Amino acid sequence: MILVLVGVSLIVFAIMMLIPEGQRVAIYVTGEKIRNEQIDSLIVKYGLRDPAPVQYFRWIKNIFKGDFGHSITASAPVIEGFKMYFPVTLELVLYSTPLIILVGIWLGTIGAVHKDKPIDHFTRIFAIVGYSLPTFWLGLMLMMFFYGLLGIFPPGTISIVGKDILYNPEYHQYTRILTIDAILNGNWRMFWDAIYHLTLPTINLVLLSSALIMRLMRSSMIDALGQDYIRTAMAKGADKKTIYNTHARRNALIPVITISGLMFAGLMGGMVITETIFARKGIGLWMARAATQLDVAAIMFNVLFLGVVFVVINLIVDLIYAWVDPRIRLT
Amino acid sequence: MEKLVEAEELRTNFYTFEGVVKALNGVSLVVNNGETYGLVGESGCGKSVSVRSMMRIVQAPGKIEEGKVVLFFNEKDRNKGIDILKRSEAYMQSIRGNDISMIFQEAGTALNPVLSIGFQVGESFLLHRRGEMIKLAVKTLDKKIDENSNSLFRMWRKFHKRLLQNETDDLERYKTEIVKIDSDLYRTEGKTDSKSLEKHKRLLVNRERLNKQGLKVRLQLKTPIIRRYVRRINAAVREKVIELLTDLGVPNPGNIVDRYPHELSGGMQQRIVISIALACNPTLLIADEPTSNLDVTIQAQILDLIRQLKKTQISSVLFITHDLGVVAEICDRVTVMYAGDTCETASVKDLFKEPMHPYTKGLLKSVPKGEIGEKLQTIPGTVPNLITPPSGCRFHPRCPDVMEICKSQKPEMLMMKDGHSVACHLYRKK
Amino acid sequence: MNSVNNENSTSAINVDYEQPVSQHPALTEAIFTVKRFIKNPLSIIGLTIILVFTLIAIFAPFLAPPENERDPYRIPHDGWTISPSPPSADHPFGTMEQQYDIFYGIIWGTRSAFKIGFSVVLINLIIGVILGSIAGYYGGLFDEIIMRITDMFYALPFLVVAMALVVALGRGLQSIIIVMIILGWPTYTRMIRGDILTIREKDYILAARASGTSDLKIIIRHILPNSVYSVLIVASMNIGATVLTAAALSFLGLGAETGYADWGQMVSMCRNWIVGPPDARLAYWYVVFIPGFVIALFVLGWNLLGDAARDVFDPKMRRK
Repeated sequence: MILVLVGVSLIVFAIMMLIPEGQRVAIYVTGEKIRNEQIDSLIVKYGLRDPAPVQYFRWIKNIFKGDFGHSITASAPVIEGFKMYFPVTLELVLYSTPLIILVGIWLGTIGAVHKDKPIDHFTRIFAIVGYSLPTFWLGLMLMMFFYGLLGIFPPGTISIVGKDILYNPEYHQYTRILTIDAILNGNWRMFWDAIYHLTLPTINLVLLSSALIMRLMRSSMIDALGQDYIRTAMAKGADKKTIYNTHARRNALIPVITISGLMFAGLMGGMVITETIFARKGIGLWMARAATQLDVAAIMFNVLFLGVVFVVINLIVDLIYAWVDPRIRLT
Repeated sequence: MEKLVEAEELRTNFYTFEGVVKALNGVSLVVNNGETYGLVGESGCGKSVSVRSMMRIVQAPGKIEEGKVVLFFNEKDRNKGIDILKRSEAYMQSIRGNDISMIFQEAGTALNPVLSIGFQVGESFLLHRRGEMIKLAVKTLDKKIDENSNSLFRMWRKFHKRLLQNETDDLERYKTEIVKIDSDLYRTEGKTDSKSLEKHKRLLVNRERLNKQGLKVRLQLKTPIIRRYVRRINAAVREKVIELLTDLGVPNPGNIVDRYPHELSGGMQQRIVISIALACNPTLLIADEPTSNLDVTIQAQILDLIRQLKKTQISSVLFITHDLGVVAEICDRVTVMYAGDTCETASVKDLFKEPMHPYTKGLLKSVPKGEIGEKLQTIPGTVPNLITPPSGCRFHPRCPDVMEICKSQKPEMLMMKDGHSVACHLYRKK
Repeated sequence: MNSVNNENSTSAINVDYEQPVSQHPALTEAIFTVKRFIKNPLSIIGLTIILVFTLIAIFAPFLAPPENERDPYRIPHDGWTISPSPPSADHPFGTMEQQYDIFYGIIWGTRSAFKIGFSVVLINLIIGVILGSIAGYYGGLFDEIIMRITDMFYALPFLVVAMALVVALGRGLQSIIIVMIILGWPTYTRMIRGDILTIREKDYILAARASGTSDLKIIIRHILPNSVYSVLIVASMNIGATVLTAAALSFLGLGAETGYADWGQMVSMCRNWIVGPPDARLAYWYVVFIPGFVIALFVLGWNLLGDAARDVFDPKMRRK
């Protein structure tokens, strides 16, 4: 675990070292304009020409101090930017992940149980189209249809009315997650406003990410249903529902769990694109902007952050895996 | 002797990509009450498929095309059977594991790797003996209610007792309804007048639609916290499972119930599979090559166990094997199968003394007799591909006594003498 | 040694004589495979899509003659008018911002897509085969090092790291290709290593080893042919996925410069035209719809092909 984290930090550092010093120096520049002559002195001042290991340890030290430099796109220290952008992303993740897992597993099971029936063909087509469609294109189409044609589900994080409520001194931002704050404040108008803006991005993510899970769930469920232990359960007199839910599904979930780490990686990529399309001010949009405006500090911080999150997710996936499959509990 | 189960002209096909595998070509067999019946043949001859068809547990892409499987389980009227291939799936579920149960070859794959032994064995109890389990749970609960004076605990336990009572009532309701439908079904079974037929059809639909659990019970089983009372039933089941495992000579059963299949040895896994089958004291036990992948010593143990169980618990055993030695040791009557056909049925003694079908003869010649330097005979040729089976008698390409008629006409089962029948044109009366 | 070989060969001949062979088993197998492939309508659709794209790529100079022979990837544009114009006789798919011809972009973009897909997957495949077979066949320290490196790559979300790397290397299509090579090889290495590990212990490999066949020969003659199908299936699906990722990076503004015939770049240009003027809100649908649709079709084609190939070649799936 620690080893992997060190590996992640090394890779991020290596990427950072590829960037010319003149651009890397931007991490340390706060706000004010600097002239070209000054850059050289700044490079020396922050030791950007030191040997790589020295720089690496200095960088790590700064990380533990919570100093990630200054972000141009957020026009604030990176940490401040993170506090601003992260809740928006978290909110989207909070709504889409359970849906992705549910839709994927549910549809996959239905496809497997009704193999070669119309509903199965439908799920298969859904899956193959789902993982072939570019995230950005589906997003654009959704927006063109719903917002462009029908005039509903506008892009953005919140409407102007919502913003007014947000800056009202009586409205407390406990978590900065809009829907949760709205519930805590008992402000339903705000709640629906947030949901209204969340709908399309969530649909976009769910449609695309659940395809992978569904596909795998279908094939592994079919595989499980052909196993000998299903016959044992049938011979016991178990009904179909018990056989599907208790005997087959748990076994079928094992490969799905192994791949769910991969799905989360895809989800993070999808998040960047989805937020860019729907103009939601989250980490993804921040990263996309930082990438085009060479905001080195923000990019590096986000890569590191998402890398660490991903490591943690993989750890959780491993734990769930061990919980579902008793055969690997001991090892 | 009374018949117990009779399969008539079973035909089962498997629809694979390469073509239709005609696995069973009209298999007929009769298992009598109180006997151990053997089914022998090479691997792939359709032994397992026959018994799976008889229990209606053929997995996709297999399909039972035609035939009859008649059960004579009715205590009062042994002569009138029920054709279970025509009955509803729900009816079959109440039969499987309860009246007929099955032991599988390769216990390692027959057990679900992600469920504990306790759960897998106990599931039979929960499926067919839920009422009894609830009674047991109530009994222990009563004791606890008397012991404990703390009023809060008392209330909680009384509440649980109430919930358990709900389930009992519901089961009672289900049982009476089922008994009524089943007896009506039984009465209309086999009648040919249009009114009875229609009624029979309607009853079948009703049987399938009948809710096993009422709304109240389903609700209390699904609501979090409230459904915790189920743990009391599970505790009772656990006790029963331990009891059963002890009876079957499983060492340290209290520990085994919490283990998972991969943690047990092959012999132990087979014992668990047997205990699953025996949980509800079935009338007929079908053993599908239960010893084929075990060490010889373990094999002997398992055979002993089955023989013993035959004496004490179960009335009839249908034993499938490819091992003629096992047949000689354990069975009363035998049927020999070849490529989806039944060749010969006889008592074990007759079969070994005077085999009639050319295939049986070849089979017996290929068994080592333990003489030093003896040379074994084989049957020339190979088992046919069942997608394109040979015409007429499926054995004719390999038969030493092949005649012209064998190539075009499937031989009928001929009764040669009492209890000895053979399907071969050689014995046809001229 | 010689006698062993002789015995082997005679027994092989015997087997051949014994069986009443009307058809070579490999031929039967091949016929079965082709039949199976043809019977699946999805595979035919996939094959057709890819064939059409291949033809478009080959005949691009005839379908859309370039204005500037030396730089055919530059999309010609009629003037500098900002707002796109709808399909017309001159521009069958309409034009984008600054009057870049969409039809021309699609045709020459096909070449770009094949270039990206093939170059990335091919180079990754070569790296994967070399590193994977060495790691899998010899094991030991080398294996350990390579596997730990791939672990590190696996511990990072792909697109996010790709973004950072492209920024580090400087924007452009070249950088995108390089980045995908850097990040893509671990997949193949792992796969081939895993396959080799399972095959290595098989009896026929032991037999080959016992008869003194050289390691390189064993890898090339016995091991790779066995794992090549699964790798090729993944590779074919990855061609689609590679183009998709490249397009996503282009969409985020990290790809080729404006006016370069690349589908991703074309999609990124359409972002401002999702919603038209109030009186005709879908006025610019062609700008948004066409380039993305073409990408989706291309990816779908490869996925269908890979899917069908798996159904046909995978011994576990093929008989279902």
